[in-house]
Amino acid sequence: MVTKKASPIFASKEDSNFREALKLYDAKQYKKALKLVEGNLKKHSHHAESLALKGCITFHIGAKQDAEPYILKAVEKEPTNYLVNHLAGLYYRSVEDYHKAAKWLKAANDNGSPNKPILRDLSFMQSQIRDYKNLKESRQLYLEHQPGYRANWTGLAVAQHLNKEYHAAVSTLDKIENIIKEHLTDADMYEQSECVLYKHQILSEAGDYERALKALENDKDSIKDMLSYMEYKAKYLLLLGQKKEASLIYRELLKRNPDNISYYPLLETALDTTSKPEELRLKLYEKLGRYYPRSDPPKFIPLTFLSSEGDLFAKKARDYIIPQLLRGVPATFVNVKPLYLNPKKSQVIEEIVLDFYQHDLPKLENPTVAVWTEYFLAQHYLYKNDLDSADKHIDLALEHTPTLVELYIVKARIIKHRGDYVKASEVMDEGRKLDLQDRFINSKTTKYLLRANKVNEAIDCISLFTKLDEDAINGCKDLHTMQVSWVLVESAEAYTRLYHEYQAKLNELRNCEAEENEELTQELLENIETYRGLALKRFTSIVKLYKIFYNDQYDFHSYCMRRGTPRDYIDTLRWEDKIHSTPIYTRALKGLSELYFELYSESLNDNEESSQEVKIKKTNKKQKKAKAQMNKKKTEFIARVESEKEDADPLGAKLLHDLQNSDVIEALFELFKSLIEEGKDLELTWKVLFKVYLIQGKYVLALQAVKNLNKVLNPYGEKKLREIGSRVVELATTSKNDDKANAAIVKVVEKGLHSAFPEFEQLSTDEFLELYNQ
Amino acid sequence: MGITIRQATISDIQAMQNANLHNLPENYQLKYYMYHILSWPQASFVATTYDDIVGVNDTEVDIATHSDPKGDTSYVRKGEKIVGYVLGKMEDDPEAEDKTPHGHITSLSVMRTYRRMGIAEKLMKQSLYAMCEVFGAQYVSLHVRKSNRAALHLYRDSLNFEIKSIEKSYYQDGEDAYAMRLELDLEKLVPSKIKEEQEQDDLTKDLLDDL
Repeated sequence: MVTKKASPIFASKEDSNFREALKLYDAKQYKKALKLVEGNLKKHSHHAESLALKGCITFHIGAKQDAEPYILKAVEKEPTNYLVNHLAGLYYRSVEDYHKAAKWLKAANDNGSPNKPILRDLSFMQSQIRDYKNLKESRQLYLEHQPGYRANWTGLAVAQHLNKEYHAAVSTLDKIENIIKEHLTDADMYEQSECVLYKHQILSEAGDYERALKALENDKDSIKDMLSYMEYKAKYLLLLGQKKEASLIYRELLKRNPDNISYYPLLETALDTTSKPEELRLKLYEKLGRYYPRSDPPKFIPLTFLSSEGDLFAKKARDYIIPQLLRGVPATFVNVKPLYLNPKKSQVIEEIVLDFYQHDLPKLENPTVAVWTEYFLAQHYLYKNDLDSADKHIDLALEHTPTLVELYIVKARIIKHRGDYVKASEVMDEGRKLDLQDRFINSKTTKYLLRANKVNEAIDCISLFTKLDEDAINGCKDLHTMQVSWVLVESAEAYTRLYHEYQAKLNELRNCEAEENEELTQELLENIETYRGLALKRFTSIVKLYKIFYNDQYDFHSYCMRRGTPRDYIDTLRWEDKIHSTPIYTRALKGLSELYFELYSESLNDNEESSQEVKIKKTNKKQKKAKAQMNKKKTEFIARVESEKEDADPLGAKLLHDLQNSDVIEALFELFKSLIEEGKDLELTWKVLFKVYLIQGKYVLALQAVKNLNKVLNPYGEKKLREIGSRVVELATTSKNDDKANAAIVKVVEKGLHSAFPEFEQLSTDEFLELYNQ
Repeated sequence: MGITIRQATISDIQAMQNANLHNLPENYQLKYYMYHILSWPQASFVATTYDDIVGVNDTEVDIATHSDPKGDTSYVRKGEKIVGYVLGKMEDDPEAEDKTPHGHITSLSVMRTYRRMGIAEKLMKQSLYAMCEVFGAQYVSLHVRKSNRAALHLYRDSLNFEIKSIEKSYYQDGEDAYAMRLELDLEKLVPSKIKEEQEQDDLTKDLLDDL
């Protein structure tokens, strides 16, 4: 290798070319930059800096997959060259591999790069990968480099806060506040207000309420967000036991927003009324109701604490429900539904509404009240699972006003409860046709069509409200772009059901016919393959979507410091840290886990599987004409289900195939890894991981999983659950019967089971299972 | 129970996006919601139903059995579900002609089955108050579909917005929009104020005094 020193003239020409290329690259003149870099590499194929830059350029204008080898070669040649390090960092940032990006940017800085903005970029990577320890250092060093910007101080305070160094964070915020005090312009005042409030948030998190309260009063003049100011103040006062003062702030808060239910219990705490007689509490709410006659909480909250036995509950419930029926509030039933947690209250409510229905309705002149009352009763009986009564009432309402969309929604729901999904979707669609402009009823219809496994019709339906790309035949791609996660997950589940349906048909066919009907078998096999692939594809699109949601925070590591919104920035980090435990993601993971476990079971009877594949090929050869026809149909089908333009794997066939050829249980573990922390309160997490660990022979982890599951399902430890008992036995048996298992480990597991579930040691297996049968 | 109205936080945005996708044809990617919350955290509000409080208050109810939250995006957490939202912002286009600070309503919607409870109006009032108080907005502007009579009624009749102009083919499907505007005055905007006569909590008396 020619070193720079050995041939100075050559090297300097090369270096100047490289510097020129770097400039062009920064100016996004990729083609010109590439020309120079390639010239360098022609003469000197190992020039590491040129290789690295070529990697970066290739990422932007070449084939993306060709880029990384150049980067790897460059860092292999000169791992301590800070320019190479920097370029590697930039490359990995472009491909959103923030771990590697952080590693190389840090290396660039450690290897003496004079380029200080690297520290700022590095801090974004470290925030993204939650490397808070090193984050503090980069923010600190960058602040030393650029102390003239408030954003850099905020950045350091955030880093200290994330490291739980509350006092250091507060002192950083204090310092910049003092420096900047005299120089604030009007335009800075919002940032000032937010930074001051951020300081209080940190103080309160550190538990120093007294200091927080004092500081809050001192800073009052610079606070613009009076809602936060009052909420903080009331909270501190309450926590410091200054209840009288706290109650006044809550009253002020109610004047601003009497519809926020969370203030009412806090006000009651401040007033010390929560354990007072219900009559007194009721009077308090009646007074508040006079102050805020348009607000719901003063009317509703008494219904929650009044005893179901007394007349007061019945009277107040009537006062709550009947005016809503008279006004035709569609959500009247939904509004009282939470009270149904108490069956006696549900009984009282039924009596109230029936009494109104029988005695008052006939006297009323406005006939729509009758419709809304029938609508209420239909939902009431549906809740009680008395479907005939529900039907009776909704039919009466429909007979009276067949143009009211809401009625179709409830009618369809009743039919759904009877299990007739197709009919339910038809009724919903009737409702939809009454108001084609309304997306809500369109969404409902789409959902019901999906529940009826009519995926194509569903997508056609929702496509009335999506953007149509050029030459797209439906909005399927737009649903992906616009992140319509509920449709994606419902589609995935519909495809799963379809795949199971065809699977069942195939099994039936094989069981009852001595001679196989080749054509039918063939068709079933193809449908199974298609729908299973699509199910995987749609569930996986949710996993991809959440990767986007996670990466969405990236720009804000910088933006929020400049904008001055550190409080909500911190919330954002915490939210992202739990994003994998949110409803749609866990639902997709549940669906995936079922598909993965099925694939695993199939892999255990491998032979059958391969014979299926052979058969598909053989039949195809025989029927060329039919095949051509089928291909045409398939192209059309693909056009309907494509999730992005030029999707390389529109049916998820490759996805399925790759899974079949990999360790599917390990792949499933990878999917569930994030839930170990984020979803530790979910039963799904521990049920799936228990099974995964059991299959992998990781019995100690399986023991931990069953204990965690018990903690989730049985937080007070008083229940003996069947779901736990059966897993305890399964774990003990499986580990004991595993010849390959380490005997010491099996012993540890047994001991662990005995100490966590003492009855398992004391009783026989049968007795144990009998005890654990709740 | 009825509805609670509170400031939107970052953990609400998936459910807000979900409500928007259920109700309206103008949709946004999640990052746009993040941008709103992280730029003007005080300007957006949500309407939720909330049933935890029943379990807290009703001693006759025992809700001890665990179940994972439903796989439904409208749930922000167990027991709290978003049924409406208003997404507000301050004008931040550096090329905008008018430099006076003013707000803009990006999107507002309420699930159909929760209408006729005044939710949209309440959401709007909170957002307007916050824009005026926190960001010094002097007026707020918004667009509404020409055919959307319910929205027009809300903005013009209930909230006193004025129609400033008609923007031809403002929407993707070619429909015209009314460009509407309301001058803001903090005193008049106090959300608990209503048109009718009403008893006021003057904060001087002990709340429990005459009970």
